[in-house]
Amino acid sequence: MFKYTVKRLAQSLVTVLIVVTIVFLLLRMLPTDYYFTEEQLMKFTEQQKQEQLLAAGLLDPLPKQLFSFYGNLVQFDFGESRRIQNGVPVVKVIGDKFAISMKMGLISVGISVVVGVAIGILQARRKDKLADHIGTAYTIFVNAVPPLVSYSLILIFGSRVLGLPSMYSSRNVGPSSILPIVCLAMGSIAWWALWTRRYMIDEINKDYIKLARVKGLSTQKIMTKHVLRNAFVPLAQYLPASLLFTIGGSLLVERFFSVPGMGPLLTDAISRYDTNVVQTLVILYATLGVIGVFLGDILMMIIDPRIRLADKGGSR
Amino acid sequence: MKKTMSRALALAMASALLLNGCGNGGNGESEGDNGAAGGTTNDAGNANAVKDLVYPRLATRELETFNLLYSQRQEDFETLCNLVDGLVEADSYGKVQPAVAEKWSTEDGGLTWTFNLRNDVKWVDMNAQEKANCVANDFATGLEWVLNFHKNDSSNTSMPLEMIKGAEEYYEYTKTLSKEEAYALTAEEGSKFREMVGIATPDENTVVYTCINPTPYFYTVGTYACLFPMSQAMVDELGGPDGVKSMTNETMWYNGCYTMTSYIQGNEKILEKNPTYWDKEASLFDSVTIKMVESSDVAFQLYQSGEVDYCDLTESQIKTISENEGHEFHDYIVPAVASKYSYPYHFNFNKMKEDGTPDENWNTAVANEAFRLSWYYGLDLTNMWKRVNALDPMSCENNFYTMKGLVYTSDGTEYTELVAKELGLEINGKTPARLDKEKAEQYKKQAIEELTALGVTFPVGIDYYIPASSQTALDSANVTKQLFSESLGDDYVTLNIKTYVSKLNSEVIKPHLHSIVNNGWGADYGDPQNYLGQETYGTPQAYYSQNYSYINEITEETPANKALLDTYKEYTKLVEEANAITDDMDARYKAYAKAEAYMLQHALVVPVNYQQGWCLSRIDNTSRANAMFGCQNEKMKNWRTSKDAYTTEQATALAAEHAASTKK
Amino acid sequence: MEDQNKVLDQKLENEDELFHFVEYSPEAAEMIGYSDYSYWKSVFQNFMKKKSAVILSIIFFALVIFSFIALAIGKYDYANLVTDSSKAFIRPNAEYWFGTDNIGRDYWCQVWYASQTSIKLALIVALGECVVGITIGCVWGYVRQLDRFFTEVYNIINNVPMIIYMTLIALLVGQSFLIMCVSLIAFGWLVMARNVRNLVLMYRDREFNLASRTLGTPIHRVLVKNILPQLISVIILRLALSIPGTIGMESMLSYLGLGLDINTPSLGILLRNARSYFLDYPYLLIFPAVIVSVITITFYLIGNAFSDASDPRNHV
Repeated sequence: MFKYTVKRLAQSLVTVLIVVTIVFLLLRMLPTDYYFTEEQLMKFTEQQKQEQLLAAGLLDPLPKQLFSFYGNLVQFDFGESRRIQNGVPVVKVIGDKFAISMKMGLISVGISVVVGVAIGILQARRKDKLADHIGTAYTIFVNAVPPLVSYSLILIFGSRVLGLPSMYSSRNVGPSSILPIVCLAMGSIAWWALWTRRYMIDEINKDYIKLARVKGLSTQKIMTKHVLRNAFVPLAQYLPASLLFTIGGSLLVERFFSVPGMGPLLTDAISRYDTNVVQTLVILYATLGVIGVFLGDILMMIIDPRIRLADKGGSR
Repeated sequence: MKKTMSRALALAMASALLLNGCGNGGNGESEGDNGAAGGTTNDAGNANAVKDLVYPRLATRELETFNLLYSQRQEDFETLCNLVDGLVEADSYGKVQPAVAEKWSTEDGGLTWTFNLRNDVKWVDMNAQEKANCVANDFATGLEWVLNFHKNDSSNTSMPLEMIKGAEEYYEYTKTLSKEEAYALTAEEGSKFREMVGIATPDENTVVYTCINPTPYFYTVGTYACLFPMSQAMVDELGGPDGVKSMTNETMWYNGCYTMTSYIQGNEKILEKNPTYWDKEASLFDSVTIKMVESSDVAFQLYQSGEVDYCDLTESQIKTISENEGHEFHDYIVPAVASKYSYPYHFNFNKMKEDGTPDENWNTAVANEAFRLSWYYGLDLTNMWKRVNALDPMSCENNFYTMKGLVYTSDGTEYTELVAKELGLEINGKTPARLDKEKAEQYKKQAIEELTALGVTFPVGIDYYIPASSQTALDSANVTKQLFSESLGDDYVTLNIKTYVSKLNSEVIKPHLHSIVNNGWGADYGDPQNYLGQETYGTPQAYYSQNYSYINEITEETPANKALLDTYKEYTKLVEEANAITDDMDARYKAYAKAEAYMLQHALVVPVNYQQGWCLSRIDNTSRANAMFGCQNEKMKNWRTSKDAYTTEQATALAAEHAASTKK
Repeated sequence: MEDQNKVLDQKLENEDELFHFVEYSPEAAEMIGYSDYSYWKSVFQNFMKKKSAVILSIIFFALVIFSFIALAIGKYDYANLVTDSSKAFIRPNAEYWFGTDNIGRDYWCQVWYASQTSIKLALIVALGECVVGITIGCVWGYVRQLDRFFTEVYNIINNVPMIIYMTLIALLVGQSFLIMCVSLIAFGWLVMARNVRNLVLMYRDREFNLASRTLGTPIHRVLVKNILPQLISVIILRLALSIPGTIGMESMLSYLGLGLDINTPSLGILLRNARSYFLDYPYLLIFPAVIVSVITITFYLIGNAFSDASDPRNHV
């Protein structure tokens, strides 16, 4: 187990390294003009531009740049932001936003797992009855209506009818977080409900459940002790990843409600060519992705002792 | 300099109205706002005034730096000008008023300028705790910072380099240094900087600038970022230049009317009144909260629920509100502050095709004066103005290259009125003044004749570039396409709408792909030279000649372009003559008006529009600072407010009152 | 499978000669005892039993056909639309069936033109994803030596934020319908390939495949004839989900300026634009939103029904 973990982590590290190297190289593929603002481009002579690039180390041969990038990485030096917040270390830029996205995300994941799984159970138990149909209709609705539209509706309804603040405010965190959390949770509730229902129904039809019934176990017990537990195994795998990815925030929701989180940061950084921010974010996301899968496997193993990770290593 | 450019470029005319959450300083009903009168109205005693202002701004306008000396973005200025004060500021009439400098003077026609500073200006920290006095040496430190290549990455250098003695030499000198050496430079007495650059501080409260040439308008430069102060003690406290570059609201020093006590990027900024502020008379808000909103729709909703005190209106909102008598805001639509940009069409005289070869067809056509004049007289731009301002399109009519309200003669005549007189143009505000279908038809015929002989094929394609992500720009471009087709005919010209992904400059301008650019220019200082000087021929400092029209690249005379070059040379001569007049401002402006009229008569550029939108507001827009130059129009000082929003009627009255006191 | 074998056994008993050597012939290998079983016929029969899915697919086809008719019968031709500010924001009426947009252009033809673009894009991308995804997925799952390689490729592509690729493509290659198709396929195949790979792994070593291989069936035949039918249900579900996914992705990219070139309107672009007006002029949002929703729901339900129907285990 320990050996497996180490091996797995080492592999993950290599993946992250390759990913960030690729991003590093992709960013260097951009014409160097993109490192300047429109005003600077206009005013700078070719020579001035070259001097600036030289000062920023961007004219060094690629291997040298890459090497110094790795060198800084080893010391956990991610550089400074150029445009998002000029001169401020990237870690600080991200750090401020990190917590807000995560807090909001965790709450919404919590809500959606509890509510979604509950709806899924209800649907599975009342299969083909009204409750099931309502649940399915909800799932379809959420998937069918484009988020741009449904978020707008929530915004209008929440602010006009319920009188909730339509904008995130640090002085009024509680109430002003309600609408964004609802938007975040709305979609994932549907996801959890859908798959809980699906796996539970698969499980209910299995022979061991029939046996349990014959043995005289109460439906309640069968549902909680057997069906739910087995149905949750494949779902559990996604839990850590979805928890971790809350850090990334949601571009659309955060833009909509002016939440000062991580969501819009990547696109902003790319469109402003803030390379250090982009690289750091990619490292962060790749790491989270890899760790998420890894934790998912471990969680699955904890819930279902039959699953052995070490065997899952190779091609299987 | 050139501070206004990128926004104006990127947002292509009308979009700027909708996207630029807010303009600058303010006067509503346009016509004659001028800077002939002084005095501010203090409404501190008004019980109905808003004490804690909440102001929305679009999230795309987020602050990028706290260092005013470094910034060249209007988005940064609109916040930073509340935190730091410079030598001078502007009032609601656009007139220059004392700020840190109590008074200023020149004895020799603008060669040396002496600014006498107040002795009660303090640097404070975020919590308004005193740090130091703001003294003459801080202005030297500020200028040194700007001119130091390694400290300021050559931001905001163009005006000092152009005007201040020794500035260019010093700038070039710092370039030769290593980063460490350059960082170590200061503006102390006896430093290399003092030795080279024309700035002196005879005592703590006096700054003397020496210009290269007599510059009668130099004091207006004091409204702009490049002459702002910076305290050496702050640089030291922050641990040197790198610390300054990364300073935040928590570490920076303030001498302006507010300090920023809270900053959450992408969400909210809280400014609080600076109790040590030098201007004890000024009426300031107790606090100002700036909320970053995703779109104008969100701002409107916030206004509706009473969460903000101002919001700009989009075209659909204006339409709904104005057409619906019973709408809660029906009587509350008031003119927003007009933008300070004058938008013309700049031609590209050296256009290339996408494969990098010269676009002979366009280049030959545009070099023909009749071709350009057919645009000048023939383009009916009303539909475009409607797109900018559906309720009052004629407020967007622009017939000049220079922004109106920039300068006034001694008898209070506005500069563009002089140009109108030179052009013989009657502007009635009801029909487009320049439009003359007959003349246009005549020039069109002439152009077709002359150009066909030169081998030009019709219709001539006009490549017009807009940002790929902007629907507003696309809509405007479609309207433009339509009006070209209606005004000039499909057999003559066709507008091709093309897109760029991210950088107009790299993707379009540098490769010379554009045929025309609708580019707004806002003044950096108060003199027509700032406008007309950008179009002169053969001068590398001429921004447009060098970077947009590329007329400077046309050095070889051919039969097709001879007339064009001659026109440009004549125009350049006229501008240089005007610029040489430094002792008599009225004569100077008159000479400039002549040059501008010459330029327009030969349609070297074609004026297009101004931007004037609408808003809902608890702020009297006429009380805002309204200089056509500088970076301080959004300073939230002496703003008149009313808890009950201003009605259209009130706004009209206020605008009339403001205009009347302007004329005085 | 077992049932079929039994049938085969019964038939064989009547033969005089029980064993003889035969040359390998693909046709003969196909022959089975259950003479009137046709896979696709069964799929079709099963599918037709789901009334809701049938109705929806009819609606979808009607929608596609109607989008052509609509353009033909509309009073305004998309190519010749003119702007007229005096006709802006006219609500739907006899002249303008879907009203007009903010610059006074007929909305009817825009909506239908955009629908065609979006459906075309979505179908091409879905098809492309399938072809690339299945091919790579099969190889990935079947050839053990390549598993590690493809897993790394998957990790790397999947972990680099797509917006970086899209920015680079838009900047360095350009923006057009074709480029959009290719780049969406280039990143869309990952999920499909991963699903296919997992299933191939599952079925690769099943007894019937072992038997088949022992009988000398070439690998490509094993993949296409033995394994692929097992995957069809999953593939179709993916396919169905990828269509609304593509429409959503396209509107997101348009929102960031990285989508189609602006002269090619899509439903995503219409939705994005309508967002600024929909409070005052809801029809601008409703028409494209309804079409997107219909497409999404249709494919969601058709996909589910079809994937049930295509699972051989559900056949007679």
